[in-house]
Amino acid sequence: MQDEYGNKWAYRLKWAYLLLIVFTLMSPVFYVMYISFNENGFGAAEYVFTLEWYAVIFTDRLMMNALSWTLALASATTAITVPLALLAAKFYKATSRKVLTVFLLLSPLFVASDILGSALLVYFKNLNRAFGALGDMLGVGWFSGWFDLGFTTALIGLVIYTLPYAFIVILITMGRYREQQTEAARACGASGWRAFWDIEFPQIRAGVFSAGAFCVILSFNEYTRTSLLKGGFDTFTTVLVSQMLNEGMSEQSYAMSSLVSFIAIAVIGAIILYTLLKSEALAREARAKAQPLMAE
Amino acid sequence: MDVERPVAVEVSNLSKHYGSVVALNGVDLKVYAGEYFVLLGPSGGGKTTLLRTIGGFLRPTAGRVLLHGRDVSDLPPDKRPTSMVFQGYALFPHMTVAGNVGYGLSLARLPKEEIRAKTGAMLEMVGLKGLGERKPHELSGGQQQRVQLARSLVLDRDILLLDEPLASLDAKLRKDMCLELKHLQEKVGITFLHVTHNQEEAMTVADRIALIVNGELVEQGSAREIYEAPKKRFTASFVGENNLLDGVVASVSGDTVLVDVGAGTIAVGRGDLSLAQGDTVAVSIRSELLQIASGPEVGDDRHSLTGAYRETVYLGLTTSHRVTLANGAELTVRVISDAGADATPAPGAEVRVQWKPGAARLHID
Repeated sequence: MQDEYGNKWAYRLKWAYLLLIVFTLMSPVFYVMYISFNENGFGAAEYVFTLEWYAVIFTDRLMMNALSWTLALASATTAITVPLALLAAKFYKATSRKVLTVFLLLSPLFVASDILGSALLVYFKNLNRAFGALGDMLGVGWFSGWFDLGFTTALIGLVIYTLPYAFIVILITMGRYREQQTEAARACGASGWRAFWDIEFPQIRAGVFSAGAFCVILSFNEYTRTSLLKGGFDTFTTVLVSQMLNEGMSEQSYAMSSLVSFIAIAVIGAIILYTLLKSEALAREARAKAQPLMAE
Repeated sequence: MDVERPVAVEVSNLSKHYGSVVALNGVDLKVYAGEYFVLLGPSGGGKTTLLRTIGGFLRPTAGRVLLHGRDVSDLPPDKRPTSMVFQGYALFPHMTVAGNVGYGLSLARLPKEEIRAKTGAMLEMVGLKGLGERKPHELSGGQQQRVQLARSLVLDRDILLLDEPLASLDAKLRKDMCLELKHLQEKVGITFLHVTHNQEEAMTVADRIALIVNGELVEQGSAREIYEAPKKRFTASFVGENNLLDGVVASVSGDTVLVDVGAGTIAVGRGDLSLAQGDTVAVSIRSELLQIASGPEVGDDRHSLTGAYRETVYLGLTTSHRVTLANGAELTVRVISDAGADATPAPGAEVRVQWKPGAARLHID
């Protein structure tokens, strides 16, 4: 809320400061977008607008393959992480040991990504060895290679990485929900699951979808864990980074980076807009609730 | 109460513990079918715990809950023949009023037409005709509670649990809604089990009242019995405006007990209590049964006490006069405001507070 007695210019200055920060943070991204529309590419003296590089990226098999791997990983991560985060948030609300629960769920955030990635790498190698020994003991080859580096190992790493974020996002939305509504639904004859699906879920849906969107974006952007655990350097960020390190950025790399940024900004923008509209609606509801108790 | 009436709710030896905290301790209770029963008591006394245990929202640590003679102690709320009205904020905000009321019917897979018809009829019954398409936040507090009532009553269950249903309403609205609840219960004829900490609310609606404190059922009876003839000291202290005087039995003679209350010795009916000289007791006298007399005692002086007049507290309809006895105890005398307004004694003046024989009641616990 704006202080009605506050200095008008101080208020404007705060907005200018905020915009400056956003611009500073986003200017490298804007620059990449700018280059991606230049027919002559990075560093050219002449700027000629073109959409050619965006067309070219769809013919770059290496890049399209990387993108499809990343999309598959992001989808699978989201499909696993969001239900897990939802269960964790429900557990958190029900348990009396909240501090311990939060600590355990957020602990992956406290470990640096390269350390956690390396630890998982070693862990998977040991698991492979253990399962291999078990297979040898039983005389079957069925156990071998379960944890060879690939889609599954990268997926496990990404689920561990995204779970704390999804948990927090869902928990924030869930915090506004009143358990009495679940009890009222149960009193109407709903089972526990039915009460959740009919009454609670529609009210926390925004948080669940936001958590899903975060999972997609986090999976898309993740480099360290994916490069350590996927093997093959064939995901979007690993291809992009290795290309950049070995050959320098190609024009279609700029276009691909820009395309991903456009999509990410659009998704996050939509989430923010939706959340703002939703919270405004909730605030209106709260104001309406606060008034009518005195009047019939 | 007609003891031949079928019992709708019966709890026996019901206890609920949270670790070392005892929320309910061996409660026994019977509520008859079609009765408006109120659980009254101070906050934290255990009345809501009892109601929620009956409703299936809490599992008892010990004891059984029987509804219409059937043991439901191990059943969840959706499997019990009860519905419930909550204190507030229990409407589904993403549904319309009609959606809220019809929710239980849709769970029961009734045809849409039937749901619409029953919902409309129920909204009309609770005075919300034409508001079915509104969202809950577009209604006033009283209207929201009526929607909760409609949502529960439309299920045609014969036991309705009400957990402080009027607590979030302002005083005027609460008074109106009390009468509406009572009339509604008479109209639908089902069993209402209502929790409140407000004694006026309890008196207005109840056929019978049970007092719950510290997890125990202290006393139960009709509203008149609880108000006019409380058996327990706690009941006398919680219901109405009673003056409580602690004392010691000086003598017992037939049906009369003489009690030394420090500021004098007074006569009290023994009732069915078994007492002996030297027993510690409490005497309660309702403030509206006391009178301030300025003249000398005439006749039996064992129904009055002398003290110093302290102050007048004007309360609108009534006025309270406060008198300090010789031992420091205080008596409150309540009179209709217009009656005897000219006769207010000066602060510090010696006055005699008297009452009719039979107005004082004796309590041993």
